[in-house]
Amino acid sequence: MPIVEKSLVEGLQRTETLEVEGIDVSGDWNTFIASRVHTDLDLSIVDWVRGQPQGTTIDRCWQCGTCTAGCCLHTDYGLEEFNPRYFIYLAQLGFEKELARYAQTVWRCVSCNKCVERCPKGVKVEEVVHSIGTYLELSGTAPKSPADRFDEAYTRNLLERGILDEAGLFQAFEAGEGRTLPTREKLRMGLKLLFSGRLHTGPLAKRTRGWGRLRPVLERMLAEDLAGRRRGLPSRRPPTGGP
Amino acid sequence: MNPVLVLGGGPAGLSAAAELAALGAPVLLVEKAEYLGGNPKRWHYSLLAPDLTPAEEVMGPLLRRVEDTDLIERRLRSTVTRAEPRDRGFRVELSGPESSGWREVSSVILATGFDHFDSRRKYEYGYGRYPALIDFKEFEGMIHDDRLTRPSDGALPKRIAWLLCVGSRDVQVGNPWCCRMGCAVSIKQAVEVRQKHPEIDAYVYYMDIRTYGLWEDLYWKSMNQYGVKFVRGRIGQITQAEGGKRLVATGEDTLLSRPTEVPFDMIVLASGMEPGTGTKDAAQIFGLHVGPEGFLTPKLSDLNPVDSGRPGIFLAGAATGPKAIPDSVTEGMGAALRAYKYARD
Ligand code: SF4
Ligand code: SF4
Ligand code: SF4
Repeated sequence: MPIVEKSLVEGLQRTETLEVEGIDVSGDWNTFIASRVHTDLDLSIVDWVRGQPQGTTIDRCWQCGTCTAGCCLHTDYGLEEFNPRYFIYLAQLGFEKELARYAQTVWRCVSCNKCVERCPKGVKVEEVVHSIGTYLELSGTAPKSPADRFDEAYTRNLLERGILDEAGLFQAFEAGEGRTLPTREKLRMGLKLLFSGRLHTGPLAKRTRGWGRLRPVLERMLAEDLAGRRRGLPSRRPPTGGP
Repeated sequence: MNPVLVLGGGPAGLSAAAELAALGAPVLLVEKAEYLGGNPKRWHYSLLAPDLTPAEEVMGPLLRRVEDTDLIERRLRSTVTRAEPRDRGFRVELSGPESSGWREVSSVILATGFDHFDSRRKYEYGYGRYPALIDFKEFEGMIHDDRLTRPSDGALPKRIAWLLCVGSRDVQVGNPWCCRMGCAVSIKQAVEVRQKHPEIDAYVYYMDIRTYGLWEDLYWKSMNQYGVKFVRGRIGQITQAEGGKRLVATGEDTLLSRPTEVPFDMIVLASGMEPGTGTKDAAQIFGLHVGPEGFLTPKLSDLNPVDSGRPGIFLAGAATGPKAIPDSVTEGMGAALRAYKYARD
């Protein structure tokens, strides 16, 4: 049966061409709905979160929703998909794929701590939510967002000479995203940078003094920090359950 | 003084008999099984909720108080088959291997207890057909003796689920009431498993968690300390997988609005409490009122929960509704006092 309202269906998968037992059946048959049935429980997320200094209280949550009810993002700001109770439940039972959909949203918490004040079970909700966000970031479960890629381009750029090269950063980010601004717009921005003395790209490049010695130290620190944060992460498993 | 008849040798009956003996009254204790101790003894209860006290530490002293006195005449494998009221007290007909025939008693305490729901009646779960599907009264014995192995192949299970409210809160099996202890006992079992084998993951499927009063502490501890996981939803059916090695529980995670079909090595059913067969028989023999649920009903359940409303007949324990051991013991004491007063006046 053809799926009419495809936009309403969660977990839709399309294939451009499809072969079944050697016969090409491309055409209207290329759309599949992934099963919504959850077929496994996986405790590796909750085990990891519990092991973090911020995540020790995750097991306490009994899903009453007090936190979400008072959350300024969810209730006052109306960001419905920001639901700390739901994030915790998904993490507790290992619904990793569903959780990955909120990899960006979890970071929107403004740390007002109203949830922590109110939780009847003494869950440090704000910290646990951040811990879940960290898990998603470090484990690579969620696809990187443009913001993540911008962060990475920024760090790389800064590490190059110890001083930010804004024009170079913009170019690198543009190239990475496969998008470009019209030349006129770029020219306008370039001139502005030049007149304000912030254009130091290519031959105009500046460099922080002593950067040759500082850079390896910083790089090592960053690498150690990342390794430390990754410690205890479950090794990548084939995804289980969920669409 | 003619003896007080105590019918039923579970926690409530034992408590009543011991209390009467302490008052100096003779007791005729009649029990249909060949041992005293009731369901806790029959199913080898392990630790008792909520304080995780070994069942022996509760039942042991209770039994000794009954066995260490000449005032209590114990009749095992015996039943009361008929009863006739006298001016004061009753004439009852005993039937049993040691003595049959009529006896004069001064008053009667019915402590006929409950039966665990027969989980086979919940046919969609497959209890009785699947070896890895265990009733929680049998599971008590398994943890008590640390025989925590999958019945299918003897391996240590990696993941166990508890299903609450089996045969309770369910009009399909005719039992709309709450069993009152299934939550606490299941959670206690999950804690015991996690204490002994932290490598086993424990999941509890629930509609509501009813660990009332101070028992709540057990529920909190199970999460905060032992990492027992709670999934909201009632499992709809169970099937076998991997040639019977595992079971697949099909249900809905109602917090996610998402269907789930999750494999488990072992599933434990929290079967509810039903009026015991002894309770039904006693109601008939003594002409007592039973409520729509089939339990005996006290005349004034608020003011005098141990009084049947018929002179000289008193009630104690789970005969009047699902009850935990401490409550049954307390009611046994209350009934003993009322029966003693009636017999002496
Ligand atoms: S308030 Fe606390 S217990 Fe309730 S859902 Fe939020 S974190 Fe869980
Ligand atoms: S701390 Fe974050 S999660 Fe908690 S109420 Fe504030 S915004 Fe919501
Ligand atoms: S005590 Fe718990 S398991 Fe038993 S019927 Fe009530 S809610 Fe269900």
